[in-house]
Amino acid sequence: MFSEGHVDADGFRIRYMEDGQGTPLVHLHGAGGLRLTPAHDLLSRQFRVIAFEMPGFGQSPENSRTRSMPELASTMAQAIAGLGIDEFNLMGTSFGGKTALWLAVEESARVRALVLESPAAIRPAGSVPPTGTPEEIARRLHAHPERLGPLPVVDPAVRAKMTALVARLRGPDRDAELEGRLRDLAAPTLVLFGTVDRVIPPEMGHFYTELIPNSHLVFVYDAGHAIGADRPEAFTEVVADFLERHEAFVISRTATVIHP
Amino acid sequence: MKVSFFETVRYLPPGPLRPEWPVPSGAYDRDAGERAYRDMIQRLEYVEELGFDWVSVSEHHYSPRILTPSPIVSAAFIAAHLKKITIALLGPIVPQSNPVRVAEEVAMLDTMAQGRLVVGLLRGTTNEYLTYDLNPKEARERTDEGMELILKAWTEPQPFGWQGRHFQFRTVSIWPRPLQQPHPRTYALGVSKESCEFAARHHIGCGVSYGTFESTARATAYYRQECARHGWEPTPEQIVYRANMLLADTDDEAHAMLDRQSKTAPFPLRPAVRDAFMTLDSRNVAGAPRAPLTNAALPTAFVGSPDTVVEQIRRCRDEVGAGVLDLSLQPPGTSDVGLLMRSLELFGAKVLPRIRDI
Repeated sequence: MFSEGHVDADGFRIRYMEDGQGTPLVHLHGAGGLRLTPAHDLLSRQFRVIAFEMPGFGQSPENSRTRSMPELASTMAQAIAGLGIDEFNLMGTSFGGKTALWLAVEESARVRALVLESPAAIRPAGSVPPTGTPEEIARRLHAHPERLGPLPVVDPAVRAKMTALVARLRGPDRDAELEGRLRDLAAPTLVLFGTVDRVIPPEMGHFYTELIPNSHLVFVYDAGHAIGADRPEAFTEVVADFLERHEAFVISRTATVIHP
Repeated sequence: MKVSFFETVRYLPPGPLRPEWPVPSGAYDRDAGERAYRDMIQRLEYVEELGFDWVSVSEHHYSPRILTPSPIVSAAFIAAHLKKITIALLGPIVPQSNPVRVAEEVAMLDTMAQGRLVVGLLRGTTNEYLTYDLNPKEARERTDEGMELILKAWTEPQPFGWQGRHFQFRTVSIWPRPLQQPHPRTYALGVSKESCEFAARHHIGCGVSYGTFESTARATAYYRQECARHGWEPTPEQIVYRANMLLADTDDEAHAMLDRQSKTAPFPLRPAVRDAFMTLDSRNVAGAPRAPLTNAALPTAFVGSPDTVVEQIRRCRDEVGAGVLDLSLQPPGTSDVGLLMRSLELFGAKVLPRIRDI
């Protein structure tokens, strides 16, 4: 079971959810804030999963201080250090994928491996984050919104607070400064896109593998933007395999013997 | 209207064969097989000369009815011998293929044939699932996923992994890539709701076969409706209709040919296997359930004299919306090649010149 904790860092009181043992796997959420998915549960069987709520999202007070994505990444690096964690695996989702990239380029010695779930760091011109009713947002995020249970109710005030923060921090669709830094990114990086992502087209995936020296792109079939929610087992299998074996994860270990 | 000749390879067995699928492999006659492929090229040279736009090949196993277990091999052989005609690979049975291999082979073939290639991807007819031990219940899902992976393999510029339900690859990066860009003209073949939806979603063509005008028209109408929902409109050439045609000088002669034809499939499945398939394999026409197979002979959509057939083709264009007809001028598996050649000649002289404007 995930349990709640708080850590003080960079002048913020930062909430996180934690479960599991072993190598820390730090997760930075997307523009909709921290939401645990079945993938968090599956990953916590192999890793010590720490899913942060970044300052200004969800239950946290309004964040009018952080002015840029590198600043947010720096705050999160301090939060991780505040938990006594030196080296860790880092996973960023969508908006949080961009935060994770900044964190990984700034703190390269600490990040063992990086996982980007539907990252929003490179976007087609004019792309907009999902907005509207919970149903409209679900249709953008999920391959099969009709299969979802009751949708979480988000306080309109919280939504407005997060929307303003995301608009301020998300940066340009193509961020030349970040992209220039990616060529020096040392961490082995796994980039995942769902084949039916309706927020960021999966065709953005190849830009990451062109820019990041040691990177791999994986398409998760029939998953939307929220891959970990849409296909948690498929997502977890490839993420965990990558975190364990890095580049060697390309070598199959799947047995095909039928009758030994 | 464009026309395609459905090449099924006419294997002429030296003696009678047991009318059952599979046909024992030991009954195969090597000389007859060698002749069948040689004659195929001769026939297709004539087909090309008559002005057919395409020659099509399909995947069928374990019988001489359509002697192309690997249609890509036939397609490559044909591409090497004929210089003008477009080769329609209709097509690899996707759920029992390695999709990456299909993507690679099609890219090779498209390049070697200098872009004279169109491709159909399909779920395949039910009996073929016995060939490579495919669970019929998984066939639909494997088809959709496999087709999507094939399209991805043709178009992605960087190596990628595929985390599917039925297929998993960590590294895909095909060489060569197709000559035609972004990929060869591609069709999802089938009348099912799922096939039409896939085609519409991916902006590819739709191929229907053997149903009546009325039932195939239901599928093509659904396809067009789905295309509109995805904000585009298919061209007539994006709808292919494969059908049997019996053409003769007069309507009476053509109907006499039809009457002489066997009413059952030449190599049917044993009844118990067919019955089991009826419950395991679910099929539909634009969402309305239909039987997966019946062991009956394939229906003949076009029967009559050139005048009659031209009118039927006009009606087909109006009702089904097809811009390409993929024709068998004698049903696959019939060994009367003389009759086939006479029909071809008549079609080339009296029908083909009159349907170009339809």
